[in-house]
Amino acid sequence: MSEQTGKQLSKEEKDARFEAELLPVLDPLYNFAYRLTLDEDDANDLVQETYLKAYRFFDYFEQGTNAKAWLFRILKNSFINEFRKKSKQPAKVDYSEVEGYYNTEDVEGDNGVATTTDMRTESVQDLIGDEVASALNTLPVDFRTVIILCDLEGFTYEEMAKILDIPIGTVRSRLHRARNSLKEKLEKYAKTMGYNS
Amino acid sequence: MESKFTEMYQKESADEKDGACGQVADLLDSVVDGEASAEEQSFFNNHIEECVSCFESHQKQKLLKGLISGHLKRVIVPESLALTIKAKIQETI
Repeated sequence: MSEQTGKQLSKEEKDARFEAELLPVLDPLYNFAYRLTLDEDDANDLVQETYLKAYRFFDYFEQGTNAKAWLFRILKNSFINEFRKKSKQPAKVDYSEVEGYYNTEDVEGDNGVATTTDMRTESVQDLIGDEVASALNTLPVDFRTVIILCDLEGFTYEEMAKILDIPIGTVRSRLHRARNSLKEKLEKYAKTMGYNS
Repeated sequence: MESKFTEMYQKESADEKDGACGQVADLLDSVVDGEASAEEQSFFNNHIEECVSCFESHQKQKLLKGLISGHLKRVIVPESLALTIKAKIQETI
């Protein structure tokens, strides 16, 4: 434990540090919660609970370390302990309703999909996004989790192992099986889109 | 797409493929995730230059990762959530 973890912060210092270091992770954390629970209200509750726990244990958080990984780990543990039972119930997702919450401006990154104003291209990309989301949502939650952490949030295998409390070898094999499962689900669709030779 | 390109390559013999292709298959995820060591990456690159099926597997794996990271839309965080969290924290302390 570092010197910082043992130091008692004043309430003002704690609030300022908490806000500066942890609140910027709200967006990816909410997305992770939503992808795990598949329910907006549950995602809200899960994220709130995660931040409350994080605040309670904030003195143990080492400044400058990976705040995102720390919060993801707390959220994952909360999900396993309290929310997993709920998520095993039939999905309550209304896709037409969820669609309204999608952020269409935040989709493209630097991984090869160029932004375009061509309407047809945009609608095809939306279609692919919906199809990928639907396929992902049908995966078991352990598979869904590794794919989100790796492909959506860009965590390294080592970070994923810490977040999930499993050895790196298990991260690798789980990711491999998750991708194979997702590939099978997307294969038929990919062929129709001309993506699969 | 890439299949037309790879058709130009000649397939390796079955014996050569088994050992090296197995190792390449094991490395596939590490390579697309940027987790392979320099040595593994070099072995992988050398092999897929010669092996059509491994080249295609690599293309498909990259495509899958691209589909997820490039097409999966992010859900918009409710505007009130940050304020609610701050308020709850102050309530419970």
